[in-house]
Amino acid sequence: MALTGRAGLLAALGAVVVLFAPRPGLAVLGVVLLIACLIVVDLAFAGGVRPLRFSREGERLVRLGQSVTVGLIVENPGPRRVRGVLRDAWPPSAGAAPRRLHVDVPPGERRRLTVTLTPTRRGDREAVTVTVRSLGPLGVAGRQGTHRVPWSVRVLPPFLSRKHLPAKLARLRELDGQHPALVRGQGTEFDSLREYVVGDDVRSIDWRASARRRDVVVRTWRPERDRRVLIVLDTGRTSAGRVGKAPIPLASEPPEGDRPDPGDDGPRPAPGWPRLDWSMDAALLLAALAARAGDRVDFLAYDRAVRAWLAGSSRTELLSSLVNVMAPIEAELVEADSAGMVAAVLARAKRRCLVVLLTDLNATAMEEGLLPLLPQLSSRHLVLVAAVADPRVAAMASGRGTAEQVYDAAAAEQLRGERRRITSLLRRHGVEVVDALPEDAASALADAYLALKAAGRL
Amino acid sequence: MTLQTAERSFSVSPTARGVWRRGRAIVLVGAIVVIAAVVPLLLPSGSPQGGTPLDPGDSSLVGSRALAQVLGAHGVEVRRVGDVATALAAAGPDSQLLITDSVSLTQGEAGRIAAAPADRLIVGDVPHLDVLARGLTAEIGGTRSRSRAPECGLREATQAGDAYMGGTAFTAPPGSTGCYPSDGKPTLVRYVVDGHTVTVVGDGQFMTNLRLAEDGNAALATNLAGTKQRLIWLVPPAQSDQTSQPSGPDGSDGSGSEPKSIGDLIPGGVGWAVLELVIAVGLVALWRGRRLGPVVAERLPVVVRAAETVEGRGRLYRARRARDRAAIALRAATTDRITPRLGLPRTATPDEIVTAVSVRTGVDPGQVRQALYGGAPADDAGLVALAGFLDTLERQVQDS
Repeated sequence: MALTGRAGLLAALGAVVVLFAPRPGLAVLGVVLLIACLIVVDLAFAGGVRPLRFSREGERLVRLGQSVTVGLIVENPGPRRVRGVLRDAWPPSAGAAPRRLHVDVPPGERRRLTVTLTPTRRGDREAVTVTVRSLGPLGVAGRQGTHRVPWSVRVLPPFLSRKHLPAKLARLRELDGQHPALVRGQGTEFDSLREYVVGDDVRSIDWRASARRRDVVVRTWRPERDRRVLIVLDTGRTSAGRVGKAPIPLASEPPEGDRPDPGDDGPRPAPGWPRLDWSMDAALLLAALAARAGDRVDFLAYDRAVRAWLAGSSRTELLSSLVNVMAPIEAELVEADSAGMVAAVLARAKRRCLVVLLTDLNATAMEEGLLPLLPQLSSRHLVLVAAVADPRVAAMASGRGTAEQVYDAAAAEQLRGERRRITSLLRRHGVEVVDALPEDAASALADAYLALKAAGRL
Repeated sequence: MTLQTAERSFSVSPTARGVWRRGRAIVLVGAIVVIAAVVPLLLPSGSPQGGTPLDPGDSSLVGSRALAQVLGAHGVEVRRVGDVATALAAAGPDSQLLITDSVSLTQGEAGRIAAAPADRLIVGDVPHLDVLARGLTAEIGGTRSRSRAPECGLREATQAGDAYMGGTAFTAPPGSTGCYPSDGKPTLVRYVVDGHTVTVVGDGQFMTNLRLAEDGNAALATNLAGTKQRLIWLVPPAQSDQTSQPSGPDGSDGSGSEPKSIGDLIPGGVGWAVLELVIAVGLVALWRGRRLGPVVAERLPVVVRAAETVEGRGRLYRARRARDRAAIALRAATTDRITPRLGLPRTATPDEIVTAVSVRTGVDPGQVRQALYGGAPADDAGLVALAGFLDTLERQVQDS
């Protein structure tokens, strides 16, 4: 049961009547009884909410930052018209709009309502409930009821770095022997023989074939194919830190100006995206590129347990499976278990592969966790560590002028010094390191992959 | 991708039967509480605690019906009077007025009682004691009531012996008799004012049905109250009397000339209209208070800015004025950056770096050494200057 503003308005008008009535006590009783009668009549003649039947149709997948519509079909099997308001409740970060819909379903008919979702967070969003308030003919009171209509929408990572993909693919083709300016490196695979044209490297002439053909024949090369790339995403505590400027504002980010300001150094910058999301962006670009280059891509997300594992998906389906697997992953607030991660990688990668480890170059976490275990990994696989640097630290490091800024700069330099030290330690172990600012991370990782491919080190 | 779901919707609203089944325990407990609260009020007041204190017609533990009956047996006529005017009309030289602390008197009433031609027995902490018993002052902060010895020459008291006295102690006027002292101050005082005997007792509990049989309470009460032929026992007016005639009996006070209060000027309908408005507000509250569906809660990921640790370290440096550490960090960063530019290996010694920098930039080697490997700056200005100079050196190395 629910009342409307009309009931209150009637009672307020009744106060005027009572004021001028000769028997005010009786008038109060009369007004109250009248309103009670109206409420009872309205409740009796309002369309029933309980027998309503609902179903949904529409999209199940949406990229973060885009909108999706979900249809809600209301069927009224009851004998009376259902007229009133309806609220389709979703979690706040699903960004459901409008908040309440008008519904008017004659008996025995069905109507389709549309809810637009603009999610502000990755992951699965489940519809909560549908609540209908069916008003009576007088509009004084109505019946209210709640139904559960299951539906879930998976919000995928936005893959913003796909804008870099054409440029990277062009560079990949350059490697591919389709261009004359072929980059010849060690360990590249023999592809085919063709006639010599002026400009070819004389060192690539195949003398035995030339002797048979009575023509000068050169060998062509192509980058290796069917190599394995294993992308390992660290979802431990270091991946929760927010860096950079969020390209798509996320949920749980308080609006500008509303943010509490505990420090004394003016308004604090917006928190940006978690490292995890930047890493996912980079991983998606790398996966797309590697799939085009003919390599097999596997994906592992790990902190203290395997959060996600994707293996052996076909090249055409790789990206869609990858975003699907990535969507529900959130940063866990625990220290990542590096030993477990290395063991999981070794257990899954039987053949030599390129292990791309997306983590943070955090000095303590690295020294206690990954560095002692690295020889196990790098002896069997080629390891590439990719980290997302914090532009705020760079900005702090260049702070000069006041003593406060210089102290901050010293703290920032301290951190950058640690990162440099860790980087050089990793390089000494034969590990490739990519340390880039959030916006450049995906591109830098793709470049590192292409460089490895060109050098034939995969 | 359009999918028709096979999952059916189902109602999650509670049915009327469900609401009743879940709420009936609460309703039952509430009903029991209400019944337990209402039934004793409806039952006839035979309960011991319900009586009026020191009422000669009250047979409860706090009443004084036993005393009244004892006095009647001794030939004293006890008149129970509900208001002051009747009491004054009945008062004469052969009567005694008994005023207890359950009666609330106004200043005027107290004055009229004091002027009445009768003896007075005042029991307990009666208001306007200075008017009723002129020259007597009550001590601030009462004493504990307990069984006390008379310790005086008053015949009524010595005959009775120990009695349950206390309550209020008094400073008696000269010429009075004080008995049952507490810390030297009497709790029973008898003296004569304007030819009338005035007796003041600090506590009336010795006259109650509960205490009358203890010690010499009964004897003391009978002795004190039975001095005259008639005892006019003033009790609080009955409840119905208080409301029906608040300004009735005393024409002398001029109740007719009393100005009308603002309540009398407001028409009677306004109160009802306000009630109606309250109902309206209640209905509006019900309207606004009914939510359209449940509140949806969601677990959100934490918001931690990655730079917070660095900022914290910067604040620590600042708070401790850690110029030495700050300088070391800045110098290490500069050397790390300029060493590759100078074409030196990472393992280059300070001497090599200083020489190379001074050769490349033309800056005095001593100054370079001081900047790159000197001591901690003496103050914050020195630190700022050092940072600036390191920047300049780095730029010069870069540009050269």
